[in-house]
Amino acid sequence: MTFVIQLAIAGIATGSVYALIALGIVLIYKCSGVVNFAQGAYAMLGAYITYALLRAGLPSLAAVLLGMILMGGVGIATERLVLRRMLNAPIVSIMMVTLGLLIFFKAFCLAIWGPDPIAFPPVFPNGSVDVAGIFITYNYIAAFVLATTLSISFLYFYRFTSIGLMQRCAADNSRAALAIGIHVSNQVSVAWAASAALAGLGGVLLATLGGLSLGISDIGLVAFPVIVVGGLESLVGALIAGFLLGILEAFTEGMLTPNLEHFLRSFTNIQSVGALQQVIPYALLVLMLLVRPQGIFGQRGTERV
Amino acid sequence: MTKRSLLIGTALAIAFASIGYGSSRFWAYLVYAVAISSIGAMSLNLLIGFCGQITFAQGALIGVGAYAAANLGNAGWGGLVALLGAGMFGALTSALIGLPAMRLRGLYFAISTLAAQFILSYFFKLLEPLTNGVSGLVVKPLVLFGRTVKGDQEYAVICVVVLYLSWIFLSRLTRTNVGRAFLVIRESELVARGMGIDVARTKMQAFLISGFFAGLCGGLLAFTSRLASPEAFEISLSVDQTAMIIVGGLGSLAGSVVGAVFVALLPEAIQRFGELLPSAALVSAFREMAFGILIILFLLLEPRGLVALGQRLWRRQRNETTEKAAELPSNATNENHGNSAIPALEGRKA
Repeated sequence: MTFVIQLAIAGIATGSVYALIALGIVLIYKCSGVVNFAQGAYAMLGAYITYALLRAGLPSLAAVLLGMILMGGVGIATERLVLRRMLNAPIVSIMMVTLGLLIFFKAFCLAIWGPDPIAFPPVFPNGSVDVAGIFITYNYIAAFVLATTLSISFLYFYRFTSIGLMQRCAADNSRAALAIGIHVSNQVSVAWAASAALAGLGGVLLATLGGLSLGISDIGLVAFPVIVVGGLESLVGALIAGFLLGILEAFTEGMLTPNLEHFLRSFTNIQSVGALQQVIPYALLVLMLLVRPQGIFGQRGTERV
Repeated sequence: MTKRSLLIGTALAIAFASIGYGSSRFWAYLVYAVAISSIGAMSLNLLIGFCGQITFAQGALIGVGAYAAANLGNAGWGGLVALLGAGMFGALTSALIGLPAMRLRGLYFAISTLAAQFILSYFFKLLEPLTNGVSGLVVKPLVLFGRTVKGDQEYAVICVVVLYLSWIFLSRLTRTNVGRAFLVIRESELVARGMGIDVARTKMQAFLISGFFAGLCGGLLAFTSRLASPEAFEISLSVDQTAMIIVGGLGSLAGSVVGAVFVALLPEAIQRFGELLPSAALVSAFREMAFGILIILFLLLEPRGLVALGQRLWRRQRNETTEKAAELPSNATNENHGNSAIPALEGRKA
């Protein structure tokens, strides 16, 4: 039982990071119709920038905050310099340009920080709390608390503030938003900035959980099962599906894989099922697309073209 | 296919085959690398550029072809059987990947192919009896008509011949009813249905044909590199292939080849420059960065590809000469802006 709870906690911690990344992708998609494959690159870049700031001697909180602000700038820059010029391009070109950004940012980090994984300096105090025999490290707690509060306050911001309202208008119908005097292209920039900043924080949290490496950018692709399961247009869906997939991955790694391998070994000569936890989300994605393409929280009736 | 393009194609094929046959191993290697990439790019362009089905599973499909050819070849079958078998397995897998396209469109289908790519790469590592896992499967040399193919020069000739035959087949195909039905589906499935085209069936044909050539490309890749290993067929191969058709031009077979030349030779060219840099990591970082920047710049500056650029320059050239001859006012609409844009691929919200 303790083991199950431990797994669930690890799953929730990584799941909250998935939620952050997926939230950013959904935000950009809603506001500008771009499917951003470079979201993982934002996470990676955010982690490396924060690392550089920490190494420069900034206190943890300041480094994380400044890192997020800088990432917001990177988000605006990519939107203004690249995506804005591609408004009328075919969707495959837009996907491709974000993949180009992913390649570029990865190469950028490779050139500056090298290919080897780096130990991330402790942002949160070391140690763990012990609740009835279950150990939870501060890193897990910090990841969960930070990601969740940030996501939820973000949802509230979106729903109850005037900028949030303008954001929703611009996302819902850009022409009508223009007609009532909303500066739509500024709103799009705001969305990109927010989403890159969220991803940057997600990258920092990932680095505190598992070290700093170029592999952090892979999370951008893992986030796609999350947003499809949650519904491509639903912010709440991205959040919940993030947790769901995090937990699913943890249980696959901790319980399903060992049991399955044990089972297979006694009947066949297959020794290992490999990294099953990396594939399970995609299997779920295909299933979801076939059964309920709009996702758990998506609405029917929107044209899926 | 006009008589002129057939002539140009044949001449180019003969020229490149003789360059590949008559020169050093390095040049032969470049010739077959480009030819193999071109076959893959043409098959991908058939699906994305002609039929409008965006897929990111091309890398995995090439992998399926490579493993199929490797297994057939190692089991003692002749090269022809191995290559055709690779095509068959590619076609079958492609049809499986295409099944969701019956229900999904555009972006959603693209995401489902992303899933297929990851699941297939997982199987490449998992199915050790067929793929030898992460260490990769060593492939015996190609045996063609009872004779073992020796040397890169001979491989170059074979690859150019296969490319030539594939190009003839595909460019004939685009002039048939099936090929035209692909174009209608790309523009609008609704219109296609209205015209009496069986959309599901036609899409399936596109997946089967494209998959066959992707498998063929994989088979040739396995025989020329003599090793089929999972990391060669990951998502980055899909990205490379997509970059080729975008750089060359969506919906143009010639564009696929031009794009393949560009994207396949780019790393070689940058490697030359990069040797001035101090460390190997920096060289690969530099190469990747240049690749990323070039993709972005291409999409920003010439989104319809090198072929469209070439056509425009050609037309401008001709206009200038005719103008000088007849002294007619210049015709601004001759540049044909937007005429070959692809509305069905424009899925962004207004």
